Amino acid sequence: MLAIDARDVVKTFRSGWFRPRETRALQGVSLAVPRGAIVGLLGPNGAGKTTLLSILATLLTPDSGRVTVLGHDVTREAGALRRRLNMASGRPSFLWSLRVGEIIAFYGRLYGLSGSTLRRRVDALIELCELGPYRRAPYSELSTGLKQRVALAKSLVNDPELLFLDEPTLGLDPDVAGRMREHIARLRREQGITIVLTTHYMREAEELCDEIEFIKGGRILARGTSGELKRQIGLGEVVALKLDPPRVAWLGEAPGVLRCAEADGWVECTVDDAEKRLPELLRALHAEGVIVRNVRVSEPELEEVFVELAK
Amino acid sequence: MWAIVVRNALMASRNVFFFFELLFWPIVGVLSIGLMTRFLRLTPEQASFVLIGTIALSVVNVCQLEVAYAVLLDVWSKSMKHQFLAPIGIRHLTAGSWLVGMARGLAIFVLLALLGGWAFDFDVLHPGWAALGAFLFGCFLTSWVVGVAVCALITLFGNRAEAFAWASVNLVLVLAGIYYPVSVLPEPVAALARAIPLTYFLDAYRTHYGFPSEFAAPVATGLALSALYAVLAHLAFLAAVRRARRTGLLLKMSE
Ligand SMILES: Nc1ncnc2c1ncn2[C@@H]1O[C@H](COP(=O)(O)OP(=O)(O)O)[C@@H](O)[C@H]1O
Ligand SMILES: [Mg+2]
Repeated sequence: MLAIDARDVVKTFRSGWFRPRETRALQGVSLAVPRGAIVGLLGPNGAGKTTLLSILATLLTPDSGRVTVLGHDVTREAGALRRRLNMASGRPSFLWSLRVGEIIAFYGRLYGLSGSTLRRRVDALIELCELGPYRRAPYSELSTGLKQRVALAKSLVNDPELLFLDEPTLGLDPDVAGRMREHIARLRREQGITIVLTTHYMREAEELCDEIEFIKGGRILARGTSGELKRQIGLGEVVALKLDPPRVAWLGEAPGVLRCAEADGWVECTVDDAEKRLPELLRALHAEGVIVRNVRVSEPELEEVFVELAK
Repeated sequence: MWAIVVRNALMASRNVFFFFELLFWPIVGVLSIGLMTRFLRLTPEQASFVLIGTIALSVVNVCQLEVAYAVLLDVWSKSMKHQFLAPIGIRHLTAGSWLVGMARGLAIFVLLALLGGWAFDFDVLHPGWAALGAFLFGCFLTSWVVGVAVCALITLFGNRAEAFAWASVNLVLVLAGIYYPVSVLPEPVAALARAIPLTYFLDAYRTHYGFPSEFAAPVATGLALSALYAVLAHLAFLAAVRRARRTGLLLKMSE
């Protein structure tokens, strides 16, 4: 069952009164997200990530395309849909002089909570997001990391089935960002929430997401698990060998080997699929009487995939 | 709706300028206008006429500002999208802030009435409770219409519209015959004044101070006009939100 089924979504922003400008933010994006998955939209600034998220969250109406979220059409059944989803962003902003507890309670009331139900929900969220000591602190006095946790707490106030997170770790220290990622992973694990997040950090997408959509210039250029993405780009995996004798001429032409290079006494062969090619290579080398002293297999970093795709 | 009530009330209580805004200008207004009536040696009836205008202006101003807070607070804090992500209609927003606005408007009214009575022997209760109630309700209705119209303008044009919105509000109020009967206005302006519901509520209330009504059924006319404008303002706000969802202005006004 799909949580999100979007087909050929197009969105063009028009701005400026004197000199009208057009920004083609999305140029035909399709996206299918199964329930319970964490999907990452990965791409550089201005790629259209926030635009896509906003359309899925009913904050923006698409120019064309069909978008069904949790079985509701985003334009025609927005009201019913809004009850079941929520959104948080990494650059959150709330009423500056309200206190943390009041902000969460305010949005709780907007979703129809009241009385003791509301109080219990606010308590639980403050506990979950580790905001206890800051409950009575005015929003404007919080640090970036705390503000983002308030945003996360707010986004869980209606017990959403689907959660959109727009750059949830933007501008956080590495250890704080790591904790935020743990929070996110736990939400899916323990509550089964479907999560769509955007990020421009490869690590984050790799660590959290079941599937990554690489988006740039309003188009999805590639999609898949981080492993599939790496293979799709043809970066391959690197099998490094320490051989005796140190050089073998035919290695570069062996099946499945994309290229070979030498570095520090290692022969580094980039292969399409290490699991399959490594035994073949070892067998061939053994047959030739070459002694293999050491073997090292490494995957390419998603970072390299990103650079390759962004070209 | 209660969410908005609680939020607006909380924000009001947090605002350092709250008391300033709530008390200072209205008091200055009543005092200066009151003193002016003395200087001009107006009859007590004439003085009441002018004071009613001043008080109405203050009440409407405070109340409509609160209604406009339904979106203004979110525009200022750049948290617009969260409000429109929630499954609520704009009627909840405006009704909630209207309730708070009426509470503040009522507070102002009581204060100014007491002040007027103490300093200038002005008796608000002279026309009786029913007439007073109709008058206040008229002020609040006008505030609702104006506040919602301001909401619509801001949602349509963004923060840039703020100054324009306030200016147009004040224009409307001045036209409503705050300090003078509509009959002194030149014809095209008088026609405009006759299109403003507050004019009728002022007129109805003032008949009790010895000023014959200029209209046949002022309260009923005022109510009918208010209802018409309320529907129009609501539809305008609704259309503005739809448009903002299309153009992305809703996003621009957040974060
Ligand atoms: N509300 C808006 N009005 C006009 N243009 C916008 C608006 N939001 C985004 N854009 C433009 O659309 C493009 C995609 O933006 P966005 O979706 O925010 O990218 P990302 O989130 O991937 O950084 C950008 O060129 C941006 O300038
Ligand atoms: Mg973005």
